[in-house]
Amino acid sequence: MPDAALYTPTAIIGSELPRIDGPLKTSGTAMYAADYHFPHLVHGVPVTSTVAAGKIRSIDTSAAEKMPGVLLVITHDNVGPLFRMAPGGHDGRTSESRPPLEDDIVRYWGQYVAMVVAETIEQAQIAAHAIKVDYDPSSFNVSKVLDDSPTEELPLHTESKRGDAISAFASAPVKIDQTYVTPAETHNPMEMHATVAVWNNPKFTLYETTQGVMNHQHVMAETLGVPRENIQVITRFLGSGFGGKLFPWPHSALAAAAARQLNRPVKVSTNRQMMFQNVGHRPRTQQHMQFSATPDGKLVSLRHDYRNHTNLGDDIHENCGEATPFIYSVPNLLLTSALVRRNVGTPTPMRGPGAVPGLFAVESAMDELAIALKMDPVEFRLKNDTLTDESNGKPFSSRHLKECLQLGSEKFGWSKRNPKVGSMCKPGDPDVILGWGVAAASWGAGHGPCQASVALLNDGTARVSCGTQDVGTGTYTIFAQIVSDRTGIPIDKVRVVIGDSALPPGPTSGGSTCTATVLPAIAEATDNAIKVALATAATAKDSPFHGKKPDGLAFHEARVHLEDRPASTGTPYQQLLKMANIDAANGEGSTSALNSNPEARKYSTHSFGAQFIEVEWDPGIARLRVSRVVSVIDGGRMINKKTAENQILGAVVMGIGMGMLEETIYTPKTGQPLNSNYADYMVPTHADSPSIEVHFIEYPDPILGEYGARGIGEIGLAGVAPAITAAVYHATGVRVRELPVRIERLMQSTVQV
Amino acid sequence: MNQFNYLHPASTDQAVSSASSDGSKFIAGGTTLVDLMKLYVENPSTLVDVNDLPLAQVESLPNGGLRVGAMVRNSDLAFHPTVKEKYAVLSEALLSGASPQLRNMATTGGNLLQRTRCPYFRDVTAGPCNKRNPGTGCSAIDGFNRTMAILGTSDHCIATHPSDMDVAMTALEALIFIEGPKGKRSVPINDFYKLPGDTPHIENVLEPGELITHVEIPPAISTKQHYLKLRDRASYEFALASAAVVARVEGGHIHSVRIAMGGVGTRPWRAHEAEAVLTGKPATPAHFQAAAEAALRGAKPHTENAFKVELAKRCVIRALKVATA
Amino acid sequence: MSDCRIQLTINGQQTSVEAPPMKRLLDVLREDLDLTGTKEGCGEGECGSCSVRMNGELVNSCMVPILQAHGAHIETVESLAIDAELHPLQKAFLECGGAQCGICTPGMLMAATHLIAHNPNPSLEQIREGLAGNLCRCTGFIKIFDSVITAAAMEGSRTHAR
Repeated sequence: MPDAALYTPTAIIGSELPRIDGPLKTSGTAMYAADYHFPHLVHGVPVTSTVAAGKIRSIDTSAAEKMPGVLLVITHDNVGPLFRMAPGGHDGRTSESRPPLEDDIVRYWGQYVAMVVAETIEQAQIAAHAIKVDYDPSSFNVSKVLDDSPTEELPLHTESKRGDAISAFASAPVKIDQTYVTPAETHNPMEMHATVAVWNNPKFTLYETTQGVMNHQHVMAETLGVPRENIQVITRFLGSGFGGKLFPWPHSALAAAAARQLNRPVKVSTNRQMMFQNVGHRPRTQQHMQFSATPDGKLVSLRHDYRNHTNLGDDIHENCGEATPFIYSVPNLLLTSALVRRNVGTPTPMRGPGAVPGLFAVESAMDELAIALKMDPVEFRLKNDTLTDESNGKPFSSRHLKECLQLGSEKFGWSKRNPKVGSMCKPGDPDVILGWGVAAASWGAGHGPCQASVALLNDGTARVSCGTQDVGTGTYTIFAQIVSDRTGIPIDKVRVVIGDSALPPGPTSGGSTCTATVLPAIAEATDNAIKVALATAATAKDSPFHGKKPDGLAFHEARVHLEDRPASTGTPYQQLLKMANIDAANGEGSTSALNSNPEARKYSTHSFGAQFIEVEWDPGIARLRVSRVVSVIDGGRMINKKTAENQILGAVVMGIGMGMLEETIYTPKTGQPLNSNYADYMVPTHADSPSIEVHFIEYPDPILGEYGARGIGEIGLAGVAPAITAAVYHATGVRVRELPVRIERLMQSTVQV
Repeated sequence: MNQFNYLHPASTDQAVSSASSDGSKFIAGGTTLVDLMKLYVENPSTLVDVNDLPLAQVESLPNGGLRVGAMVRNSDLAFHPTVKEKYAVLSEALLSGASPQLRNMATTGGNLLQRTRCPYFRDVTAGPCNKRNPGTGCSAIDGFNRTMAILGTSDHCIATHPSDMDVAMTALEALIFIEGPKGKRSVPINDFYKLPGDTPHIENVLEPGELITHVEIPPAISTKQHYLKLRDRASYEFALASAAVVARVEGGHIHSVRIAMGGVGTRPWRAHEAEAVLTGKPATPAHFQAAAEAALRGAKPHTENAFKVELAKRCVIRALKVATA
Repeated sequence: MSDCRIQLTINGQQTSVEAPPMKRLLDVLREDLDLTGTKEGCGEGECGSCSVRMNGELVNSCMVPILQAHGAHIETVESLAIDAELHPLQKAFLECGGAQCGICTPGMLMAATHLIAHNPNPSLEQIREGLAGNLCRCTGFIKIFDSVITAAAMEGSRTHAR
C-alpha cells in the first residue's frame, strides 16, 4: 500500500447528488456554443472536397459571390494568415497540423476547400452549393487492409520488451496466433461541432465546442498569430465529445479568419455529414497477437504487433498497447507498432484511445487461449493476475482486478455457465440461445497541473472557478461537492464558474484525468480561503473570536468556531466577513502533474474492471442482441455515484455500438465516408439498451491525491467489445475477430436450438 | 436548396391542375421529399402542398374493407382500432418503421412513394446513380451493397425499396386510387410499382400530375397476420429482410396465404411462388422451408449481400410459423 | 420564392415570422424566436434532438419547413416548466440522471411528454420503443428509462395532450 495520506470526507463525497446543472439542461436554458447569437452575426458554410486526393485546379466562386446575402467566399487564395504550430516549445495540441486552406492540395474526402459567409444560414448554404471546384484528382488509398510494411518514414517501433517472446512462443505447448481488427469509428456526440467567433480588434472571443478551453486558446493564438491574451475561449456547456472535441478542428480557424476579415461575428457549425469527415475519428487498427501458455494456464509469452491508419500529414498513433505490458503476469513480451498512411481525415483520440481497441485484441486472444487450454476464462485471468507492473517492476498503486472478476462472476451468476458452445437456452424461449462472455478492462490513471480559485462570499455563498469545462460528465457538480465538503456550505450555495479560458488554467477534459486533476487544486484553494476567513474572524473588531489565534479556530458547517467546541457554537462566516467589511475570503490552489511527485513515480497507476456480458442469439432469424451486462469498476473513490454510474452505463452501451453496429465505411471507389449519417452509421437506440448492473469496487487510491479518485470516463468502454465477441462465440461457435459483429458472419454458425 | 414555387390548393381538383407542370411535386409529410431537397437529390420547381386536402379519413367500407385517405398519418393508421383489430400486419409494419416523430409526419400516400435509402442515390457527390441521374451508371453494384436488393434488380439499379407499410399493403392486396389530369383510376398495389429495368428513375405508374387520393384494403376476414422485420439494430432501422404474412388456416392446413417481402426487393416483393407452394398444404416447417426456397429462387446477390438470401428465407419461415401458430 | 409570413402559436403565444418558406421550424425557433432550448443533432430527422410537438404531435423540427407550420400550435421544451416550477419529467430527468451532456435532453423530454400523454403508465418495452427516435450518446438510456418511469409515477404528473 502506498505511503500517502487519505482524507476522510463528509457524506457529500460519494453521494448520489444529482448534477447541479440539471435544471439548466432540462429546461433548455444551458448555453452551448451554437446557442450564442449576436447582433450582426453571419453564417459560414464550408465547402468540402469531393475527391480523396488531388490538386485544386480552380475554384469558380463567381455565381456564389453574386447571390443574395453573400459577404465573403474564402479559398486558399484569400484565407489570410493562418499558421502552423511551432514544433516543440508550445503547450497546446492541435488536431490537424495543416491549417485550413493552406494550399491547393486535397488529402482526404471532405477536406475544407472553401467557405461561404452570408447573412443567413440558408443564403450561405445555397451559395456554398453554387461553388464549382475543378480538381485534378490523383490516386488515393483507403484500403482496409493494413499490411503495409514499415518504412523509414513510418518505422516499426518497439514499445515494450521483456524476455524473448518469439522463441518462447515457438516452443510453448499451448498457443494462439490470430489477427484482430477494429474499424474506423466516428465519435458522434449528439452536439455537432460549432464555433461562434467574435472579433473585437485586437481580441477574439470564441464560443466553442471544446473539451479544453485552455488548449483551444493556446492553439488558436498560434494559428491566428495573436498573443494568447487576445483569445478568450468559452464553453459553458458541451454536448459531449468522447475525445472528438479535445483539440481544435479547422472550422474554428475558418470562423475566426472570417470574423477578422468581415469584422462581424461568424458562426460555423459542422453538419452531421462533416462529423464523419473533418472532425476526427478512431482509426482502424489491425493487431497480430501471438499468446502462449503452459498446459496448466500460466502465460508464457505475449506478442502484440499492431498497425493503425493515420492521415497524410499527421502521425497519429493509436496506442493499442496501452494495457498489454502490465495487464497480466508474463515473462516474455514483445509489443511493436507502426503507422500506415491512408487518405482519410485526421484520426483523433476516441474514448479509451488505444486501450479500447487494444484490449479488444488482448482480451479476445485471452478468451481464445482459455478455450485452447479448456480453462474457464475467469479462472485463466485470475491465474495470471499480478500486483506488479512487470514492464517496469513497480507495484500498482491500487489494483483490484481479481476482485472485479470475482464480484462480477458472483453478480452475473457465472458459475451457472456451461462452457459448451450453444448449450444454454433462454428460459421460456426455446428459439433463443444464450452466450456468456467476460473480459478484463484497464485504463491509465494520472493527473496534470491545474489552478483553481475559491471565494467564500459575505452573502453566504461560495464561488469556485477554474479554466476547465464540463463535457457532460458532471464536472460542475464535483467542483461544488468539494467546496461543500470542506466548508459545509450547502451545495446550492456554491456557484461553479468554468468553461472560460480567462479563468485560472485548468485541465482538458480527456483521458479520465479531469477529476483527479482538479480535486487537489480546489481542495487547496478552499482551504486557503478558509484560512483567510479564520484570520478575518481573529482580527475583525466585533468578531466573537477577536484576538484568538487563527490556528485555534476551525471552519465547519459554514461557521467559524473554536476548534475544541462544536460547529453549532460558531458564527456563520458571512457575518464575520461583513463585520470586517470584507467582500470575500479568497483562496488559490494548484495541482502539480502526477509525474512531478517522487512518491507517485514509485507506482504504476491504472484503473481496472471486468465486463460480463450475455447475448441472445436466435439462429432461426439470425438475430443477435446484448441482453445483460454486469460491469465492475475499480476506479478509486467515486466522488459522485450518480454521475459515475452514468459514465459507466453510457460507456457500456457505446461498447455495444462498437461491438455490434459501428463502422465508418470509406468507399474504395471515391474514398468517401459513405455512411455519414445517423441512419447508416448506427449507434445504439433505447431499444438496444440491455439490463446493465454497475458495481464500483471503491479503494481510494492515495497516489492520486487525498480523495483517491481516479476518473472513470473511459474504463467503462474497455473490455465491452471482447466480452461481446466471447459471448457470441459461446452462443454460436463463430469467433469474430473483426468488429463490428455482423450477422452474416454468425449465419455460418452450425449451432442448432 | 433551389428556389421553387409553392402552392397550397384547397381541393383535390385544384391540386391536380396545379401539379401538371414539369418539375412539380406534391408535398405531404415531407419526410422523404424535404430530406432529399436539402440534399439536392430532389429539385422540384413547384411544390404543391396537399396537407389541407380532405384526405385524412379512415373509413370502413360496406364490403368489410377499409378506405384509408392518402393524408392519414402513419401513426394514426397504426393505432386505428380497425387496423389493429383486422389488419394487424399493417399496424405491425407501420410501427416497425422509422421513429415516432417520422411516423407522426409521414402519410399513407407519401409512404407509397417513399424513395430508397441507397447511399449513392442520396448523395449527389457519391458518384453515378441511374435513379438520381439517369444514364450515369450504378455505383452500388460493385460498391457498398450490403443493404441492397437481391430481387428485381437490374444491371442499372439494385436499390432496395425501403418501406415497411408498402410490404404489408402488398400482402393485403391494397388498391391505390389516383386522380389526375385525365381523370380517376385505381391500380392494385402489385401493379403500382415498376421494376428498375433500364429506367430505375421511374418507380411507379403515376403519370405527371397524378395524385394518390386514398387506398382501399380488401377485407381480410378470418386471416392470421404477422409482420416480421429483421435488422442489425433493435429499432429505427430499415429492414435487412422483412416478411408480411396474411394467411387463412383451417384445421392445420393453409387454405390461402399471401406473402410479401421487404428489404430484399427493388419494390415491395410479392412472393406468389411461395404462396403456391403452401396453398392447401399443412402448416409445417417443411412446407415453410419449401415456400421460403421458392420465394428466393430468383434472388441475385451481389458482393456483400449474399447473406440476405438466407436471411430472407429465415424471415419468411419464422413469419409463417408465427402467423399460422 | 421569396420570404413568406407565417403565423403560428408557440408555447401558447401567437407570433408571426417572416422567413424563407423552406427555413426549418428548428431554425425559426432558435434564430428568429431565440428559443435555443430545441437542439439540432443531425438535421436529417434521424436523432430526435430537435423534437417539438406540433398540433399535439411529436415531430422533428428539422424536417418541418416553416411553410408547413403556418397556423400550427408548437410546443417546445420551454413550455414544460410553468413559472419556473419544473415539469415532473424535468425533475425526474435531473434527479435520475436522465440528462447528461444535455443536448438530447430537450427533445427527449418532448418525446417523453408525448409518450406519457398517450400512455400514462408505459412499460419498459413501450418506453424503449416509444423513445427509439431519440438518440443519446451519453447515458446508455438506462437512466432515461428510470426518469420516465419515475415521472409517470410522480403524483400530480401534469400530463396532458394539448
